[in-house]
Amino acid sequence: MLFVDLVRHLRYFLAVAEELHFGRAARRLHMSQPPLSQRIQRLEHELGVRLFDRAARQVRLTDAGAALLVEAREVLGRVDHLHTVADRLRRGEAGVLRGGMLPDLPGDVVASLVSEFRDRCPDVRLTLRELTTAEQLRALADRTLDVGVLRHPFDAPWLDQGEVLSQPLGVLCPPGWPPGPLRLADLAGQELVIFPRTTAPALHDELLSTCARHGFTPRVVHEAATPGFALGLVLAGGAVALHHLDSPAPHPDVRCLPLVGAPLAWRTSPVWPRGKHTPAVAAFAEILTARLTPAELAPRPPLHPRPTTEYLP
Amino acid sequence: MTIEKRVAECFADAGVTGWLHAREIDGAREVAVGADTPVVLASVFKLPLLVAVFRAAETGEVDPAGRVTLDPGERSGGPTGIGAMFDQVSMSVRDLALLAMSVSDNAAADALVDLVGFEAINHVTESLGLTTTCVVQRSRELTESMVRDAGVADAAELAPLLTDRRVLRTLSALRPESTNRSTPREMTALLTALWRDKVASPESCAAMRRLLGLQVWPHRLASGFPFDDVRVAGKTGTLPTLRNEVGVVEYPDGGRYAVAAFTSSVRTSFTLPAADAVIGTAARLAVDHLRAG
Repeated sequence: MLFVDLVRHLRYFLAVAEELHFGRAARRLHMSQPPLSQRIQRLEHELGVRLFDRAARQVRLTDAGAALLVEAREVLGRVDHLHTVADRLRRGEAGVLRGGMLPDLPGDVVASLVSEFRDRCPDVRLTLRELTTAEQLRALADRTLDVGVLRHPFDAPWLDQGEVLSQPLGVLCPPGWPPGPLRLADLAGQELVIFPRTTAPALHDELLSTCARHGFTPRVVHEAATPGFALGLVLAGGAVALHHLDSPAPHPDVRCLPLVGAPLAWRTSPVWPRGKHTPAVAAFAEILTARLTPAELAPRPPLHPRPTTEYLP
Repeated sequence: MTIEKRVAECFADAGVTGWLHAREIDGAREVAVGADTPVVLASVFKLPLLVAVFRAAETGEVDPAGRVTLDPGERSGGPTGIGAMFDQVSMSVRDLALLAMSVSDNAAADALVDLVGFEAINHVTESLGLTTTCVVQRSRELTESMVRDAGVADAAELAPLLTDRRVLRTLSALRPESTNRSTPREMTALLTALWRDKVASPESCAAMRRLLGLQVWPHRLASGFPFDDVRVAGKTGTLPTLRNEVGVVEYPDGGRYAVAAFTSSVRTSFTLPAADAVIGTAARLAVDHLRAG
């Protein structure tokens, strides 16, 4: 007897055992009595024991039947649970959520993401990998990630994205730098420490372009992949680095100063493959969104498209 | 390092000698690197020409909407605009000005010179007290001088010789004293007057500024200001080894800066992207300096 068949026969057994009456059990199962009797006989044959004593007017469980009824309930309970788990897996309420995390997201954001996610989705195991935007785009395309956190600008029309979140950047200044808000033009003559261009070329160029727009064109740009190297170059003097305003300064001798008008900010969004917005993905995105500040819809400066655009009058 | 030294180093690094003047339109601060050196205008001569055409339109000597017909074979040739077309063209004076400024159309510019005359063009700069600037040739005479100096039959024979230093040394078109000329400082003076509505009526000045903003080339002055909220308007000029652009850069905070950059490259190749781009790079160094206050 196949497993699925066995489960069905166990349900017939359970119905008859609970009703102790073939007619009532058959009605409960929406079938007629003769086939039910046949199937109980088949089950008895399969198991090699008699389950019921069929007296003239009374059906009673045998001792073996009573013992196997306990087991049947156990099996049917497990089968129901199996279906429940399968449903939740299918709906994304259980299982594993593979998330990508940018290397420089503040530690407290990562911590609350992990703990709040555990509370909201206790049946989903969250596995986080620290990956750059470019690496996450590849992993999302390969379907080895279910959800990612990408830094703008990126171009991936096959992804859906959540809110645009903003982390304003300040400037990590060397020892002895006067306190108080800075203009980017005040940094003229300083060297700039920034993440390696290969990790996010468009963002790298955008940041340098914004610096240039505001009068800071560093003659030397150092590419630092680790915070330690960046800090060292700043501590040594003559160089500044970009730093999250809401993260503590990494050393007592340097300070992170805000920029007038906040011209520089990381913009970040949770993303997932289009059409794969499961409850777990939604929870992940909502927790991240709550922990970071939505980017303001800044009033647009006047734009002057040049003839090279070729499409504007 | 002084800003002048940084600009000069920037030019040298790109393999050119450069002469630059940058100044505030609404102030007197400036950056000057060989700013009083006489330089060859090349197609930058179309800027004083433009002013002369708009002035003539104001006095009624020229009808800006009046039609001009240019026939192939008679009109001046060139690599862009009407100069490169097959057939007869008829268009208004002001549309000729548009082509002369936006794509440096030689046929259109020469037709405009024929309308207003050299005297009117030079009167524009004289009236501003600019004593070095002088326009003495149309594009056609300039090309003819090169053919003559190189000792060849026509422009087609000339082209392959123009990367040869020995030929270039013979060309009077590359020497300020024998062709259309100015200085970087005099060109920023002209631009400043244009942006301050001083060279013609405010309406005419606005129309001319618009035409300068329609120039299509992105590789020189504009390349130094890759910002969507910054307006760049200008006019280029190019001859063998010479790359020029004069223009105005306007920031949304109201800062306006006139820049004139003239360069001469060490290499003689026609295509030298770094020599084009350094005009933008040097201009931004200067403008950033002026903006830093």
